[in-house]
Amino acid sequence: MMTDDGPPQPLSHASHTVCTAANLSLSVDTAVCGFNSALQRVPLLDTRVLPLIIQPALVPSWRPHNIPMKCIGLTLPEGVELLVSTDAKKTASDGSQSREIRSRKIAATEANGHRRRKRTRVKPPPGAVSLQDRLFYLLQPPLETWLAGQELVLPFEPFPFQYEGIAWLFSRHCALLADEMGLGKTMQAITGIRLLLRVGQIRKILLICPKPLIPNWRREFRLWAEELPVVTIEGSPARRRMLWTMPGIPILIANYELMTRDLPDIPNEDRPMFDLLVLDEAQRIKNRNSLTAQVARSIDRRRNWALTGTPIENRTEELVSLFEFLDVVPPRAVLNARQLSKLADEHILRRTKDLVMADMPPRIDRDAELQLSDAQESAYRTAEDEGIVQLNDLGDAITVQHVFELVLRLKQITNFDPLTGESTKLERLTADMEEIAASGGKAILFSQWTKSLDWLEERLQPFNPLIYHGGVPAKMREPVLDRFREDPDTHLLLMSYGTGAVGLNLQYAGYVFLFDRWWNPAVEDQAINRAHRIGQKNPVIVTRFICANTIEERIDRVLREKRELFEAILGDRDNDRVSLSLNTDEIFGLFDLKARGVEGARSIGPSNANAA
Amino acid sequence: MAALEVDGRGYVGGLLVTSRSGRPLEFQCTTPVKPDRTQEILYGRTLRAWVLGELIGSTLFSRVTIKPDLVVVHDKQMLELRNHTQTPVAFLDDAGADTGTNHCRSIGGRQLHFHRDHPDDSDFVESRAHLLPCKADLQEPMDRVREALTETVRTVLA
Repeated sequence: MMTDDGPPQPLSHASHTVCTAANLSLSVDTAVCGFNSALQRVPLLDTRVLPLIIQPALVPSWRPHNIPMKCIGLTLPEGVELLVSTDAKKTASDGSQSREIRSRKIAATEANGHRRRKRTRVKPPPGAVSLQDRLFYLLQPPLETWLAGQELVLPFEPFPFQYEGIAWLFSRHCALLADEMGLGKTMQAITGIRLLLRVGQIRKILLICPKPLIPNWRREFRLWAEELPVVTIEGSPARRRMLWTMPGIPILIANYELMTRDLPDIPNEDRPMFDLLVLDEAQRIKNRNSLTAQVARSIDRRRNWALTGTPIENRTEELVSLFEFLDVVPPRAVLNARQLSKLADEHILRRTKDLVMADMPPRIDRDAELQLSDAQESAYRTAEDEGIVQLNDLGDAITVQHVFELVLRLKQITNFDPLTGESTKLERLTADMEEIAASGGKAILFSQWTKSLDWLEERLQPFNPLIYHGGVPAKMREPVLDRFREDPDTHLLLMSYGTGAVGLNLQYAGYVFLFDRWWNPAVEDQAINRAHRIGQKNPVIVTRFICANTIEERIDRVLREKRELFEAILGDRDNDRVSLSLNTDEIFGLFDLKARGVEGARSIGPSNANAA
Repeated sequence: MAALEVDGRGYVGGLLVTSRSGRPLEFQCTTPVKPDRTQEILYGRTLRAWVLGELIGSTLFSRVTIKPDLVVVHDKQMLELRNHTQTPVAFLDDAGADTGTNHCRSIGGRQLHFHRDHPDDSDFVESRAHLLPCKADLQEPMDRVREALTETVRTVLA
C-alpha cells in the first residue's frame, strides 16, 4: 500500500495500540503495455459484399402481360360508304362541316320525352345463319329514331303496330303481310322498301298490283318516300320492253296483266333480276296453276313480299300458292292444316283492327231487311217458280251454271223490277241519302252490276252521284275520286265490287251501302274498308240491303254460317271476317235442289263455284 | 362501348361506331377475357379498370377502322381507356346527377362524366354538342351493343 505522505508505519501488537492514520489518496496508473494502447485506438469499420449462395428456386416470378383475345368485326354498308368516300370521311372526322340541327334546349326536352317512347327494334330473321347477318339486324337503331332522323322523314307518325310491320318486313326475305284492310299495308311496304334501299340491301324493286291501284301506289310513294323515283310499266310493247330491261330504275310498278303478257316474251338472257318482288293484292295468284301465278314465280328475285288482306278467300290451297311464291314450300307441295299453321306463324304477319286500333272509330253494321214491292214480288215469284221448274226439267244435264244464272236473275229483281222500275232498295236508299246529304256527309254504294249502278245514277241526281266501275276509263278514275273528296255537293259514290273494293282510300266517307250482296264476305269487307280505315275520324255506318224471303236472305244465312271455318288456319290473330264463298253444293242448296234428289248433280264437278 | 360479364368466362367488350344520327357504321367485339388469380390479387381494386379500360377498350379502339370523335362508355371503369388514347372518352351515367364540375356535362338529357386527368374532354364535347340530332339518345346505342354482345357470346359459345 502506498500513501501520498510517505511509507506506511508498522502497527504495534503489545501494550498499547497505536493507530496511525494512513493517507489513501493513492495515485493509480496503468502499466504500459501493448494492450492498453490498443484500447485507445478508434475501431476500424469496413463492409464488403457477400453474394447469396444460390437463387431461390421456388419463388414465383410475374410480369404484367396482356391476356390474349380475338376480335370479331363487322363493317356495315354505311361504314363502307364512309370509308370509300374521302369527303364523307373528312366530314365524319371533322364535325366543322356538320350543320346544327336544333337548339340544345329543344333537343334536351325532346330527348327526355323520347326516352319514354316505345322503341321498335329490327330482329334477325329466323333464317339468318351467320353471325354477321344477325348482327347487321341487331345493330340497326330503333325505327322510331331512324325514321325521325334528318335523312328519312315521314309525313305522319306511324302507329306502333305499323312500326312493327316495317321492322318485320325489313328483316324478311319471304314475307306475307296480311293485315286487315285499312291498316296501312301500302305505307308499311313503302317504308320497308325505303329503309332497305337506304342501307343498300336492295337496289331494284318490282311492284305488281292490280291496274286500278297503280295511281294509288304512285300517290303513296310520293307521300311516304318522295325521294324515290318510281316508273310505271305502260305504253307500247316496245316501250314496255325498254322499261322492263332498262338498268338504273330503282322501283318499277306494273299491273298483273302486263306482267303476265310481257315477261314471258323476254328472252332469258334479257330478263331483269330484282332484289325485291312485291305482289300487292296477292290473292291474284291464289290459283297456283294460273298463268299469273306461274309468271310471278318465274321472276328472278332475291326477296319476295306478298301483300293481301285476304290470304284465304275460299280454300287453303290459295295459301299454299302464296307460300309457293314466297319460296318457302317446294313446288306442288301438299300441306295439311298443321303444316300450314306452322308456316303461317313463321311467314305471315296479320293484324286486325280489333287488336291494334282500339281508338279507331267503330264500324257499325246494320242489315236493312226490306220487303219487295208488289211489282218486284210478282216478278220475283214468277222468275223463281219458272226457274226451278226449268232446272228440274234439265234432269241430268243440270250444271251449277244453270243454277247460278237463276240466282243472278233473282238478285237483279231484288234490286229493281225491270218492267216497272219499282225498287224498295232505292226508296230506302233515297231516304237515307237525304239525311246524309243534309248533314254534309258522304256515302259509298257497292253493287255487283254496273247496270244497276248506272240505273241508280239516273235516279239519285239530287245527291250528285259519281260512278266508279270498270266501264269508266282508267284515266278518268282518279279525277272521279278527287271530285268525290273535294266537292262538298257530291254525296254519293257508286262503285262496283270488282273495281272499287280494293286498295282505295276513301276514309272521308262515313257511310257504306251494300246495295246487293257479293258472294264472299271477304270481298264485302274489302269494300267496306275503303271507308273504315286509318284516317277515319267518325264511325262508319254499313248498311246491307237484304230483301226478306228472297234469295238474298238465303245467301246471307249460308255465308254467316261459314265465317268461322278458317280461323283454325290463321289462328287467334284473325277475326271472323275471313270466310268462304259459296261452293257448288251450297248454290244448289239455295233452291233445295239437292234435297229433292237432283240426280244429275255429279256432273257439276268437284270444284267450288267461286262466283267471286 | 360496353362490356358484359359472362358467367365463368370473364368479360366481353363491344364497340359500335355510329354516325351522328345513330346509324351503325362499324362494330367490333372481343372474345371473352378472363383475368387469372394472380392478376386478380396483384391488380386488386384496379382489376376492372385494367381489364375493361386498358385491355378491352384499347384493343377495340385500335381495331376499328372508322375512328370515332368521342367514345361513350357505359362503365365508369372504362374511363381508363382515356389514358391510352388521344380521343375523348365519356362515361354515360344514366342515374347520376350533374355535379356542375368540369368532369360532368349534361348532353341530350344524359349525364356524361369525364376522366379527372383530362378536363379538356368536357369542353370538347360541349363544343360539339350542337351537332347531335335533337332526339339523339346516347343511351340507346348501348342497348344495341349489349344485344350484339349477347348474340355473339351465344354464337361463339354454342
